[in-house]
Amino acid sequence: MTVEEQVREIVARITRVDKSIITRHSTFKEIKADSLDIVQALVAVEETFGIEIPDEEAQKFQNFGDFVSYVEKQVAQKGKA
Amino acid sequence: MITSRDMTKNGRIRVAVDAMGGDHAPGEIVRGAVLAARKDDVEVFLVGTTNVLNQELDKYGASGNPHIHLVEASDSIEENESPVDVIRRKPNCSLAVAAKMVKAGEADALLSAGSSGAAAVSAIQYIGMLDGVYRPAIVGSMGSFAPNTVMVDLGANVDCKPYQFVAFAIAGSVYARLFLNIPDPKIALLSTGSEERKGSEAVREAFSLLKNSGLNFIGNIEGGDVLSGKANVIVCDGFIGNVLLKFYESIGGYAQVWTEQKLKRYPPLRGLVRLMFKGLFPATRISRGAEKNGGGILWGVNGVVKITHGASQAPQIANAIEAAKESVKAGVVESMKSELAKFNLGGKS
Repeated sequence: MTVEEQVREIVARITRVDKSIITRHSTFKEIKADSLDIVQALVAVEETFGIEIPDEEAQKFQNFGDFVSYVEKQVAQKGKA
Repeated sequence: MITSRDMTKNGRIRVAVDAMGGDHAPGEIVRGAVLAARKDDVEVFLVGTTNVLNQELDKYGASGNPHIHLVEASDSIEENESPVDVIRRKPNCSLAVAAKMVKAGEADALLSAGSSGAAAVSAIQYIGMLDGVYRPAIVGSMGSFAPNTVMVDLGANVDCKPYQFVAFAIAGSVYARLFLNIPDPKIALLSTGSEERKGSEAVREAFSLLKNSGLNFIGNIEGGDVLSGKANVIVCDGFIGNVLLKFYESIGGYAQVWTEQKLKRYPPLRGLVRLMFKGLFPATRISRGAEKNGGGILWGVNGVVKITHGASQAPQIANAIEAAKESVKAGVVESMKSELAKFNLGGKS
């Protein structure tokens, strides 16, 4: 499973949205995620991939694609280390 | 002496208390724990800054009480902090540590007089929700005017998705069965009219879900029917429920002022009115019934989580510990689980 698929699974599980409707362009508002959903998703992704997502970075995410891109970058860096 | 994490059962219900949460914490929380621990079927775990808690226990000569234990938590949540800080910034606050104890099976129930939002977030993140429940809900009885009616949600969920109303209905039914002894509670949806098409989009969708849920759903009722006894469980979102609750609680006081003004020329009658309202109208307070019946529980959590007023003093804290204990004994969580297992609540998309 790719990083994107795993992140999509996590977000879908927490927000209880069908994962098929979550695209890279979906905003958190569009998938009806509130602040608690978002924080839970951040924590779950951090634990799954063993990475840290600082709040200041998370606040920059405009949509699901931004979230995935950041996680992909962190996972790749971790792999190189 | 006090032992830390000396988890013992011995037939006693173990209540983890957020000792740093509440307007009068930790002093009144500790004093309340001392009062509660006089009963022979409860163990209290005070979670917070243990050296401070020990000093408080010393004030009441209770530092050697074998039924009060201290658990260290390095942080606490302030009332003005965002509830989600419990997860990201303060995962070791007293509330989070107490919640983790319930999850780990080290405590049977959690009590907090601190931020209700933070308690809900802790419950969701560290204890978890029951299958089919998205967020916790608050159930409360309608008091003397409608003794066989409960309302849910009373404020935990301001914006609700349609499927949440079904979980609310189940929680209300379990409450009515366990605490009001109503075997097959009648469930109604609060709306702006009795017809199916009335109400907001979420309410209209919820009507359809409830109609097909297999629950004892009798349809919509309007505000004027809340106290009529037509329904045993009235389902609404937390915004409506909270507004209605506070309005309802305010009626007694305003009715007294109005009546006394009307009778200002008849001083003896005014005294009688004061007496009447003191005895009669406070009984309409939903929160009083809730305290007694365990309505301050966050329903839908996979463990007993009790929230109580921030202004609670020692006697209220002791009552809340007692109510948490009774909720464990009543099998609140197990009853919810078995009811939820009968229904497919679906997703929110």
